[in-house]
Amino acid sequence: MLRKRIIFALIYSDGNFMQSRNFRLQKVGNLHWLEKNYKFQNIAFALDELIVLNASKGEKNMPEFASTVSKLVNDVFIPISAGGGIRKMEDADLLFKSGADKIVLNSLLVENPDMVKEIIKNYGSQSVVACIDCKLRDDNYEIFIKDGSLKIDYELKEYVAYLELLGVGEIYLNSIDKDGTGFGYDQSLIETVNRITSLPLIIAGGAGNESHLAHGLKIENVSAVATANLFNFIGNGLPNARNLIIASNENIANWNVSNYNG
Amino acid sequence: MKVVIVDYGMGNIRSIVSTLNYLNVHDVTVSDSLQAFESADRIILPGVGNFGKAISQIRAKKLDDYLQTVVIDQKKPLLGICLGMQLLGLSSSEHGYNTGLAYVNGVVTKFENNAVKVPHVGFNQIKVNTNSKLFEGITDGADFYFTHSYRMHSEDDINQSLCNYQDDFVAGFEVDNICGVQFHPELSQFNGLRLLKNFIDNF
Repeated sequence: MLRKRIIFALIYSDGNFMQSRNFRLQKVGNLHWLEKNYKFQNIAFALDELIVLNASKGEKNMPEFASTVSKLVNDVFIPISAGGGIRKMEDADLLFKSGADKIVLNSLLVENPDMVKEIIKNYGSQSVVACIDCKLRDDNYEIFIKDGSLKIDYELKEYVAYLELLGVGEIYLNSIDKDGTGFGYDQSLIETVNRITSLPLIIAGGAGNESHLAHGLKIENVSAVATANLFNFIGNGLPNARNLIIASNENIANWNVSNYNG
Repeated sequence: MKVVIVDYGMGNIRSIVSTLNYLNVHDVTVSDSLQAFESADRIILPGVGNFGKAISQIRAKKLDDYLQTVVIDQKKPLLGICLGMQLLGLSSSEHGYNTGLAYVNGVVTKFENNAVKVPHVGFNQIKVNTNSKLFEGITDGADFYFTHSYRMHSEDDINQSLCNYQDDFVAGFEVDNICGVQFHPELSQFNGLRLLKNFIDNF
């Protein structure tokens, strides 16, 4: 049976990893810190996928970001998606060369759809994840690009249809309102998109503990749950969450360590 | 142990190299030269992207001829991964009709969008073929990571392990020295490490 996925999203900014709350960033530590405090390779064995997002404000340093991605890939045997600031084919090429299995697009989807099509032509639909950053205002979901700073005119439903036509492979649906709060996912946002898309749907924004992840996994047609909450899942947080979720018979992959004995 | 990864400009090669290194295989070369292929103990055909573009690049670089020499004539063990597996089949309907390397009878077609979510992304379980050296020691129902919109069926007995999504399709096969897997062993945690170790140790 196709399993559902637990994804960790690392938020990166100018050489450091960040805790984001409603898209305001707080520095947590650099790659060295991450390796030291998170024993990242161990944590990766509790994850189905890793997403690394470059949320640096202003001009993003793509080579520096790509170099960080290439270091994260070592001894991590899961798919890695990377994105943030991809504007041209060379950016996509560089991230794929640095070990990204997929790229995450956001602003480019609106600003240069032809380039998106070109990337899909070269790397295939399954290599492109479309990130949608949403904010609820007056019972209406508004969509933002440019790290949450610029509202676009699309209606949510219309935008999802537009992305499907573009040919992206997955949707990463993020709630700016819930981002980093640890209050749980935005249920009504998820339902709105879930009803209308036939693409694999990754939900993000708000998960603060394993019961939020478990709850998200139970939503029909949701393909994956993501969290970017470094604080709440520190240390053994993620491995413990995965074990609890497996124990509750949720449909997620169970890697049999005995299949591999070094 | 020398592993050569076929370079035709497509595929995430970095994670395959890093996984082989983790398995203590350090002599890993990415190359498009016959000389490198002839010096290899194992050959890996990777691949991400479009079938038609891939096969035309392979033919433009004469890699089909080189592979014929080392894989068919010299019987060096070959593992195709993802698109690399599909390229070992007869044909694919991805963006028009294209023929493959035709080492096995396998026909590649698209998942039907109204039946299942396309692409097929994530870990899925395998009905493991116990007659396969490639899958030695891997328990039935083991999870592997897939990401693809097209899949292979075969009417021959190509010693396949199957995955079910919409219907049963070829998740892996093994005919003598030629193997392929639709999933990504380099992205499949312990199960993938074991499979790649089997490819190194058992052939």
